Amino acid sequence: MPLAKQRDLSTEIASHREFLFRLALLQLREKAAAEDATQDALIAALQSQHKFDGRSSLKTWMVSILRFKIIDVMRVKKRHGTSLSQDQLDRELDLKSFEGLFDETGCWATPKAEWTDPQAHVERVEFMQILEACLTRLPENTSRVFLMREWLEFTSKEVCAEHAISPGNLRVLLYRARMQLRRCLDDNWMGGTDGEA
Amino acid sequence: MVKPREITCKDTTWLVSDACERDLSPQEKSDLAGHIEDCELCQGASTQFDVLFRQLRIYLGTSQKSDNNPQDNEK
Repeated sequence: MPLAKQRDLSTEIASHREFLFRLALLQLREKAAAEDATQDALIAALQSQHKFDGRSSLKTWMVSILRFKIIDVMRVKKRHGTSLSQDQLDRELDLKSFEGLFDETGCWATPKAEWTDPQAHVERVEFMQILEACLTRLPENTSRVFLMREWLEFTSKEVCAEHAISPGNLRVLLYRARMQLRRCLDDNWMGGTDGEA
Repeated sequence: MVKPREITCKDTTWLVSDACERDLSPQEKSDLAGHIEDCELCQGASTQFDVLFRQLRIYLGTSQKSDNNPQDNEK
């Protein structure tokens, strides 16, 4: 019996496995759970590939499937109770490492290059690779909390409840994430300019 | 229009992050805009944050706006 009249996307779907796994790992920070979520997302994508309408890229469509699978995993884990370790949380709330960015008057210590969005295909691929590496370098709690907001789109209230942290602490972790990502890209990407020096 | 208060570059980075989380108050918006207008360092930093936030949305597939996609430039 023919499965579908339309193009078979199975190979293309499978080719995104590594990317989905890396993204799942960033959020869950646990290999086994990330493997499970990735596997579930791939199976769901294969089973429902006839529903893919081509309005977004296949990769984007799969990322949205993975998103639901991750939320499922987190719901199950919550029942087993997970919270952030206080020690590590305290370290991540400490913003000392950003002090050198500003002088004593609170002014940026060094000039900031103007960036433009990467345009050419090679440039976009390179940017995304650096962005992903920078996300991976975020401290564990910071990246989990940040991705819960930015990717899973939980409300601040939900994130605070999930991790038993105060709104004030959440604000600091999100600030850390954005500041650290900007700095990491500033250190590693040419910002769409030719990089004069 | 609310008169902008004097704030530092460091203060603007907090407002830039807070603006992702909630609507800034008219006073905060005015402070932020007023500072960036006069500060070359923050103008650079502000383009960096803009690119970062846009590209992050593309990476995470949360970008709904097509204006981020160079392929969509149809007249």
